[in-house]
Amino acid sequence: MDLENKLTRFRTRRQLFKDCGFGVGKAALASMLADGLLGAGQTHFPAKADHVIFLFMAGGPSHLELFDYKPELTKWDGKPTPESFLKGKRFAFMDTFSKDTPKLLGTRRTFKQHGNSGHWFSDLVPNIAGIADELTVLHGVSTENFNHGPAKMFSNTGSVRAGRPSMGSWVAYGIGSESKDLPGYVVLQSGPRGPRGGAALWSSGFLPTAYQGVPFRNVGDPILNLSNPKGVTPEQQRQTIEALRDLNQMELEETGDAEIATRISQYEMAYRMQTSGPELIDFGQESKETMELYGAEPGKSSFGNNCLMARRLVERGVRFVQLYHTDWDHHDDITKPLDQVAKEVDRATAALIKDLKARGLLERTLVVWSGEFGRTPMGEVREKGKIGRNHHIDSFSMFMAGGGLKPGIKHGASDEFGFSPVEEKLEVYDIHATILNQLGLNHTKLTFRSQGRDFRLTDVAGRVINPILA
Amino acid sequence: MLRFWIFFLAAVLLTAQDGAEALAILKKSCAGCHNVNSMNSGLSLDSKEAILQGGNRGPAAAVIVAAVKHAGDVKMPKGGKKLSDADVATLEAWVNAGMPVPESFVKAKRRTSKHWAFQPVRPKPAGGSIDAFILAKLKEKNLTLSPVADKRTLLRRVHLDLTGLPPTPAEMDAFLRDSSPAAYDKVVDRLLASDGYGERWGRHWLDIARYSDTDGYTIDAPRDIWPYRDWVLRAINKDMPFDQFVIEQVAGDLLPNATNDQITATGFHRNTPSNFEGGIDFEQYRVEAVADRVATTGAAFLGLTLGCARCHDHKYDPVSQREFYQIFAFWNGIDEVDKEEDRKYFNRPFLEIGSDAEKAKQAKWDADVQDLEQQIRKHQESLTENADKDSKLIALRKALVDLRKQKPKLLRTLVMKERPTPRPAYIHLGGDFTRKGSTVGPGTLSVLPPMKGGSTRLDFARWLVANDNPLTARVTVNRVWQQYFGRGIVGTESDFGLVGDRPTHPELLDFLAASFMDSGWSQKALHKLIVTSGTYQQSSQLREDATAVDPENKLLARQNRLRLDAEIIRDAALVSSGLLTAKVGGPSFFPPIPPGALTVTQVVREWKTATGAERYRRGMYTFFQRSAAHPSLTIFDAADGITSCTRRVRSNTPLQALALLNDEASIEFAESLAERMISEVTGSEEKRIRHGFDLAVQRTPRAREADRLLRFVRQQRDSQPQASEKALWTSVARVLLNLDEFMTRE
Repeated sequence: MDLENKLTRFRTRRQLFKDCGFGVGKAALASMLADGLLGAGQTHFPAKADHVIFLFMAGGPSHLELFDYKPELTKWDGKPTPESFLKGKRFAFMDTFSKDTPKLLGTRRTFKQHGNSGHWFSDLVPNIAGIADELTVLHGVSTENFNHGPAKMFSNTGSVRAGRPSMGSWVAYGIGSESKDLPGYVVLQSGPRGPRGGAALWSSGFLPTAYQGVPFRNVGDPILNLSNPKGVTPEQQRQTIEALRDLNQMELEETGDAEIATRISQYEMAYRMQTSGPELIDFGQESKETMELYGAEPGKSSFGNNCLMARRLVERGVRFVQLYHTDWDHHDDITKPLDQVAKEVDRATAALIKDLKARGLLERTLVVWSGEFGRTPMGEVREKGKIGRNHHIDSFSMFMAGGGLKPGIKHGASDEFGFSPVEEKLEVYDIHATILNQLGLNHTKLTFRSQGRDFRLTDVAGRVINPILA
Repeated sequence: MLRFWIFFLAAVLLTAQDGAEALAILKKSCAGCHNVNSMNSGLSLDSKEAILQGGNRGPAAAVIVAAVKHAGDVKMPKGGKKLSDADVATLEAWVNAGMPVPESFVKAKRRTSKHWAFQPVRPKPAGGSIDAFILAKLKEKNLTLSPVADKRTLLRRVHLDLTGLPPTPAEMDAFLRDSSPAAYDKVVDRLLASDGYGERWGRHWLDIARYSDTDGYTIDAPRDIWPYRDWVLRAINKDMPFDQFVIEQVAGDLLPNATNDQITATGFHRNTPSNFEGGIDFEQYRVEAVADRVATTGAAFLGLTLGCARCHDHKYDPVSQREFYQIFAFWNGIDEVDKEEDRKYFNRPFLEIGSDAEKAKQAKWDADVQDLEQQIRKHQESLTENADKDSKLIALRKALVDLRKQKPKLLRTLVMKERPTPRPAYIHLGGDFTRKGSTVGPGTLSVLPPMKGGSTRLDFARWLVANDNPLTARVTVNRVWQQYFGRGIVGTESDFGLVGDRPTHPELLDFLAASFMDSGWSQKALHKLIVTSGTYQQSSQLREDATAVDPENKLLARQNRLRLDAEIIRDAALVSSGLLTAKVGGPSFFPPIPPGALTVTQVVREWKTATGAERYRRGMYTFFQRSAAHPSLTIFDAADGITSCTRRVRSNTPLQALALLNDEASIEFAESLAERMISEVTGSEEKRIRHGFDLAVQRTPRAREADRLLRFVRQQRDSQPQASEKALWTSVARVLLNLDEFMTRE
C-alpha cells in the first residue's frame, strides 16, 4: 500500500474518531507520524537493529593510510603505475594525471594487526584499532561518481543528482520514530565546513517532509526555533499552546477537517520538543569518565560532542542519526592534515562504540563509518615537495559495528595495490540494502510512487551482504 | 557440389537485390519484437525508414549479421531458435548488398495508442459548464454541490488563490457592502489585474522551472537569473497567451529578430543546476542538464515521465530511448561549457541587459578605454628611447589600468544560445554519458501528431503548443485546477501515461482544455472560468453524506481546505501586520535567517540581511540558495529548486509549529500586529481581540472564540503582571498568527 492510500485511510479513520469524541482521535493521531509506513512496531521481518548511527567522513578518507594494508604497493612506491591499471579509467582532476603517468605511492604509515580478529590498522587510528574485535570491516567497496557533491549524494540517496530521499528519510518513512518528542532522523555536523551538497544530503526528496533529516545546529538551539522568544516564560508558552489547542479544536468542530487535529498534535509535539530539548543537550548528566572517553567538552562544536549526542539521541528513541565530519580530502598532503583529522575522529569513534556496548545499546544500534569514496594508490603532486592522493571510486574501505552483524570479521578485498576489488565487488547499494535489512526492511519492498514509478533507495540494484550478518 | 554453391549464392544475390526474401525472414523471425509499437533496443523493422535508421546500438547493418550469427554479445532471435544457415546467408548477402528495400515496402508508420491521453481533445460541447460536469458525477452518487461559501470566506479564498494575499479590511468592507450580482465578478477582475496575480501564478510556474538564485551542487555560487523570474511575472500579468509563453521560454532566442525579453525567457531551461567543483568532467554535468530539460519538458508540458526513457525504452508508455535522445538533441547544441579548458566561461551563455543609461555608461567607458589606448599609442610613437622611464607614459598606463577596473557591470541573465557548429547527439546506452550508441537527430514522439516545419528547437516549441497536441493544454488546465482544489482532475499531474491516474472527470478536462485553446490560450480567462464556477465557490465544510461515499472528495461535493504555501504564510502575516512592501521584481532579497542555517553547506555565503522596507517583501523574492534554502521555505514544503516541481506536498510537522511560534520573523510580525491592535482600536479588550482576529483571518470571532482569547489575555497578564501592553498583545497576536485557520485557505 502506498503512503497516499495509507494517509487516506487515516483521514477516513479520523472521521470515525471525530464522531466518537476527540479524545480517542487525538491519541491515535499523535502516533501517526511516529508509526511509519507499516504501522507502529511493524517491519517486513523481525529487525536486528532499531537504530543507525552513520558516521560520514566527508571528503574521502584514504583507505590506504587507515585500514587497507598494501605492502606490495610500498614495494612499488615511486614507480609508474602499470598501464593495465589506468586503461579505460577516469579520475577527478584528470589534468594532474594526464601529463605524466602517475606514480604509485606506498603508505608512510605503520600498519599492525589487532585483536583476535587480526584487522589491520595504521598508527593513525590507535583507538579504533583498540576495538578491532567489535568491527565488521568491508574492503573493495565501490561507488559511482568521483566528485564530492554527487558522490555524497549517491552514498546518501542512491542517485548522483539531488532530489531523491536520503536513507535516513527512507528509514523514518519505513519504520517511523520511537520518540514522541524528537524527530526520527537527526543530522549532526562537525569539522571546518559543512558537507558538500548541503541539505540535499538529508532531504526527504519526494517523501513527505515529515521524514526529512533535522539538522542540529552548532550555534544557538540544537533544533531551529527550539527556544521561546525573548521574554516569553515557559508558563506563557504553555498557555499559548493551550489556547491554540482550544481555538483550533473549535475550528475542527466547525469544519470537520481532520487536518486540524493533526495540527493540534504537531503543536503539542513541538512543545514537548521544547521541554525535552534542554535535558537532551545537558551534558552535565554525563560522568567525567564518559566526557573524557569521548573527548567531549560542553558547548563546543566537535566530533566528540556529536558522538556523545548521537548516543543520547539513540537512547531517546531517534531512529537514524547521521554525523558529518569534513576535511578528509587530502589531495596535496597525506601527512599532517591527515594526522589532524584522524585524531579528531579516532578517539570519539571508538568511544561511541565502547559506550554503546557498555550500555547494552550496541546490539540494537548499527554504527557505520564511511566516506563517499577512497583515495588513489597513485600519488598526486600539486605542490613541489608534497604528495597527496586523488579521489578513488573503484575500491575503498569502511567499517560497521553492532546492529546484528558479525563482529571481528572482514569481508571483501582489494587487489595488491588497493586499486580494484578482488573476490566480490561491494557496491553502495549493497550497503543500503544491508542497513535496511538490519532494521527489518526489505529494500525491494520499501517503495514510494513518484512520477509514475515506484522508487527504492536501492533503485534496481542492491544485495544484502549475507556473510556479515550474525 | 561447388556448382551447387555457386548457384545458391547467385540465387541469394539475385533475390537479395530487391530484398524481398531478407525482409520476409526479418518479418517472420525478428519483427515480433522490433516493430514500431514495441521497438526493442530502439529497432523497428517494419518500414523502410526504420530499417535504414537502425536501433540504439547503431545502424542495423552493423548489428544484424553478427546478431543472427551469434558472433558477439548480442544473440538473436532472443530466446528463440538460431536462424538456419541459409537464412543467415540470405541476410548477410542482403546487408552486403547495401540493404535494398523495395519501394513497395511499408512507409514508416507512426506509433499508435488507444490510451485516453493521446486521443485528440474533444471540442467544447454546447451548453457545457464546469458545474454541469461536476454535478453529473455527483448525481450518480445522489449528491449535489454544497452551498456557496459565506462572503467573507469566499473573498479570502479568491484573494489567496489569485494573488496570495489576504484581503485588507477595506477590501472586505467594500465586498460586503456591494450587494450587486456582479460584486464577485468585479473582485475577480480587480485581482486578475493586480500585480499580485503575476506574483502568485508566476511562483507556481517558477516551481516547474526549478528557479533558484544559485548554481547548486558543491560550489552553489549565486547566479544571474532573476531577470528570467521577472519576465515570468510580467508575461503572466499581461496575460501573454500560454502558447507564446511556452514558445518564448523554449526557443525565444530562435524567434526572428528576437528581443532581449524573448531571449531572457529562455532562462527557463537554464535553471538546471550547474556543477563547477574542481576535478569534474564538464561534459558529464552538461549531459545531466540536457537530460533534465527533457524530463522537465515531459513533466511540465506533456505530462509524461520522459526521464524514464533515458536509460532504456519507457516501461509503460510509448516513448522509446531513441525518442528521449531525439528530444535531448534540441538542447545538445547549446553553447554550454563541456571541457576543463573553458572553465572560466562556466556560466556561458548569458545575455547582458541593462537600462539605456547603463548601456550609455558602458558605451562611454568603452570609448574612454579606446581613447586612452590611442593616446598611449601616439605618445609611444613620439618617444624615441627610454619609453619605460617616461613619466607621462607611466601615468597614462596607470590611468588605463584604473579605468579598466571601473568597467561598469551590466545586468546579466542566463539564456539559451546555439553553438556555431552543432554537437552531434547520441543515444547514451544505459543513460551513461560515456557510452555513445547510435547518433540521433532532433525529433519528437511518434505516438503524437508530427512536428511541422523543420526540426529546430523553435519548431519543437511550436509542436508543444500546437492545437492538435492532445497533451499540453490538458496538462496545463489540470495543473491550474489542482491549485484551486488541491488535486487535479488527473491526480498524477505530471504523469498522464499508462500508469498515471485516469481523469475523474474526462469530459470536464477536455472542456477546460478546449476552452483554454479557444480563448487563445488566455490564462486569465481560464482562471476566471474556474473561480466563477459554483464548484469553486462552494463551502469547504465537511459533509457526512459526501464523505461516506467519497472520502477523498474526488467528486467535489465541497471545496477543500488547503494549507497555504510557504511563501504565502509569510505574505499573509505581512498583510495582517501591515508590514508588506509591495515591490514587484528586482534582485532577490535576504530576510533575516536563523543563525547556523547557512553552515550546512560547503561554501558559506554571505547573507546580507535586508533592512528597512526591503525586509518586508513577499516570500517569493527570498534569495534561494539551493544547498541551504531558507528554513521558512523548506519547513513549509517549498519546491527545492533543483528538479521540476509540479505539485508541492503539504506536510504538517512540529518544526512548522516551532517556526511560527518562535522564529525571529514570526515575532516581528506578531509585534506589528499587536501594535495595530493597540493603536487602531480604542476601548475594551474584546474590541482589540476582535480587530486582531479580523486582521488575521478576516472574520469576527465567534463568542466562544472571543471568550477563550479573553481568558488567554487574563492568563498571560496574571503570569507576568509587570509586562508591557505591547508584550501582552504580542502574545495574543502570536496565537492569532498560529491559528490553523490563519495558515489555511478555507
